[in-house]
Amino acid sequence: MRIQDLTDLTGAGTRLFDQLGDAAGRMLEGEIRLGVTGLRRAGKTVFVTALVDNLLKAGRLPFLDVMASGRFRAARLKPQPDADVPRFEYERHLEALTGPAPDWPQPTRGISQLRLAIRYRPGSALRRAVQTASTLNLVVVDYPGEWLLDLPLLRLSFAQWSTMTLDMARHPPRAPLSADWLAWADSIDPAAPAEEEDARRGAALYTAYLHACRRIEPGLSLIQPGRFVEPGDMKNAPLLTFCPLPGDRRGRHSLWALMEERYDAYKTSVVRRFFTEHFARLDRQVVLIDVLGALNAGPIGLADMKRALQLSLEPFRHGSSGWLDWLLGTRIDRVLFAATKADHIAASQHGNLKTLLDGFVAEARSHIRFEGAAVETMALASLKCTDTVITEHEGRQLRCVRGIPVGRDRPTVLFPGDIPPGHEVFPPGRERPYSFLSFKPPAGAGADGRGLPHVRLDQALQFLLGDYLE
Amino acid sequence: MTESTRDRDWIAPMELDPDGSAPLPVEEEAPEPVPGVEPEVERLPAVRAMRGAGGSRVGRWLAGALAAIVAVALGFDTADLLARSFATSLALGVLVAAAVSVAVVSAGAMLLRELRSLRRLRRIEELRGTADRLEGEAGHGEGDRFAGALARLYDGRPDLEPVLVRLKDAITDAHDDAEVVRLIDREVLAGLDRAAYQLTLRASRDTAIATALSPAAVIDLAVVLWRNLKLVREIATLYGVRPGYFGSLRLLRRMLANLAVAGVAESAHHVAVDALGGSLAAAISTRVGQGVINGLLTARVGITAMHTCRPVAFGPHNRPSLGRIRTELLTLPKQVL
Repeated sequence: MRIQDLTDLTGAGTRLFDQLGDAAGRMLEGEIRLGVTGLRRAGKTVFVTALVDNLLKAGRLPFLDVMASGRFRAARLKPQPDADVPRFEYERHLEALTGPAPDWPQPTRGISQLRLAIRYRPGSALRRAVQTASTLNLVVVDYPGEWLLDLPLLRLSFAQWSTMTLDMARHPPRAPLSADWLAWADSIDPAAPAEEEDARRGAALYTAYLHACRRIEPGLSLIQPGRFVEPGDMKNAPLLTFCPLPGDRRGRHSLWALMEERYDAYKTSVVRRFFTEHFARLDRQVVLIDVLGALNAGPIGLADMKRALQLSLEPFRHGSSGWLDWLLGTRIDRVLFAATKADHIAASQHGNLKTLLDGFVAEARSHIRFEGAAVETMALASLKCTDTVITEHEGRQLRCVRGIPVGRDRPTVLFPGDIPPGHEVFPPGRERPYSFLSFKPPAGAGADGRGLPHVRLDQALQFLLGDYLE
Repeated sequence: MTESTRDRDWIAPMELDPDGSAPLPVEEEAPEPVPGVEPEVERLPAVRAMRGAGGSRVGRWLAGALAAIVAVALGFDTADLLARSFATSLALGVLVAAAVSVAVVSAGAMLLRELRSLRRLRRIEELRGTADRLEGEAGHGEGDRFAGALARLYDGRPDLEPVLVRLKDAITDAHDDAEVVRLIDREVLAGLDRAAYQLTLRASRDTAIATALSPAAVIDLAVVLWRNLKLVREIATLYGVRPGYFGSLRLLRRMLANLAVAGVAESAHHVAVDALGGSLAAAISTRVGQGVINGLLTARVGITAMHTCRPVAFGPHNRPSLGRIRTELLTLPKQVL
């Protein structure tokens, strides 16, 4: 047994102990931890803001059973459970969305939390007899999607990861972005004695390449390791000065060995720490995906998103390979993959959008459903910015969206292209069949005090929390 | 699909003039069904299975002819009666004429009411067919019309007003048709279901106690019949059918069709449990046992009436069950003895 596995074991022991303590606390007062993450600008911040706002104001959630049956009493914000995690700045984000000049809030970096107490009347007569009103503490944990994509690294050795990453970097659409770094990787000798200067240079070039992947329009989703672009509190730490190298295991003090050491250290003190401190304690998870953005990006962007999506499903396949995995597994039992910004297409297209997303997760989903968490997909919009309208065009009725695009101040009616019902979304001969615009938050959203208008947020909540509010 | 047809169907993404667009939902008036004409909509398969027999057409012709003969005879007799009254004395003539006109007017009013109630029943069946289709297709754009039709059905019901307002609030242009139907199911019909279940519970308890306590079999037969009819009418009124006499008959016929063909009420498993429960109770006391069985029958009638009158068919999760009624009834021996 390697040292690595021993740390796994002690980690598992600690976590088991933690979980027992958590379970005891949950007996007294219900608590549920909901993880929210997203791939490539999927709108996590808006999702959390709309979710919290709608629960606090409780006016627009007809599909949440506890609301529909009139058992919901109230929800309010509570102090956070973990003192060392930043608070999700709900008030500030809400103000940005609903202020006099509504705009999208600044994207958040790193992890943040918010705790809500939901007071409700239990549905079953038996539980009502014990207590007339129950409280469920909902902890929303918002973290970058890159951190979720880091979790599969736990299974990969440095050599495996290097092969995979290098292979990906040599193919479009990444090849032009990675040219500098690849040139450097080809010029050095991995077997040569390690020089700190070389390591720093390689890491800097690799980081620049990752940043470029994210920055280009359309951005790419699959970025590993996540802390290189979302360093949080560890900017410039030696932990982040490594990069994939070609070749195989080399001599003891070679550059390759140094990089491998740092890669393993990254896995232990970054990825595993995130896993034990946050991810393993989650009960439910929602992964937001900007499918429309990927469609805008064309076939290559969509393929990249699909790959990232399949990687992000990996951590939910607990129980699939061996006893160690079972110990290390999470307790997440429901995962929602949601295509956000569904309001950017006509409502009649939502079904097709969902089908498309279904196709991406279908393969992994069958395994997961059998062994681990229940997986659901949905097309939703955290904040509904547009209306679906009907327009005549050359004698045909088109379903379009009407809203104010970002950067303009007059509403427009947009026909962004129809998503076909199958999985063949890029018909041959049409390079860019879609043109989805970003829309501004509507003026006066939620001014009626019933919470922000949304699309299917209530159904998402019902899937994620419904059984806790029975 | 070949390349050329795809090209013709394909529309490039573009921006259009905001003035030329109409918002969803487009409020369209649902076509009012003409009384007497069978609407060409899907109905419950069970009900359809009962129709279409060649014999019923002959029966209808016979009934029509007989009715015509009776009407003509009545007309002649009335005219004759009037003539004779006027011949006897003017005062008597006026009196009889007044009586005849009152009879004609009230009969006409009654007929109108009956027709209207029949139409409402038919409309509910239509709505159920539409709801079935909308839930299956999950398309977009028809849901609002369906919600509008339902709101018209429950127009002028003070108890449902807040619910309908809430429903109108909840439905947005982003919901697809299946979601709209589900919303209606949850927001409007769930409350009606609870009320109907209470009615059924009360009626089945009534019949059970009446059977257990009645001194003669004739009396409890009458009580059970009357109570069952009343229950059906109550439930129908609750769901918005407002049945008249013929309406109730028709409703009963539909219910029989449902009971016999679709086996709506319960599965064989439940029947076995009922029989077991009944025989257990019968061991305690024959009369009380009969009461329990009659109560269960009434409950079954009530639940079938709910199935028949509901504008959206029950799903697997909200299908009413005999469960609670059964437990309630099985405590009856304790209450009575």
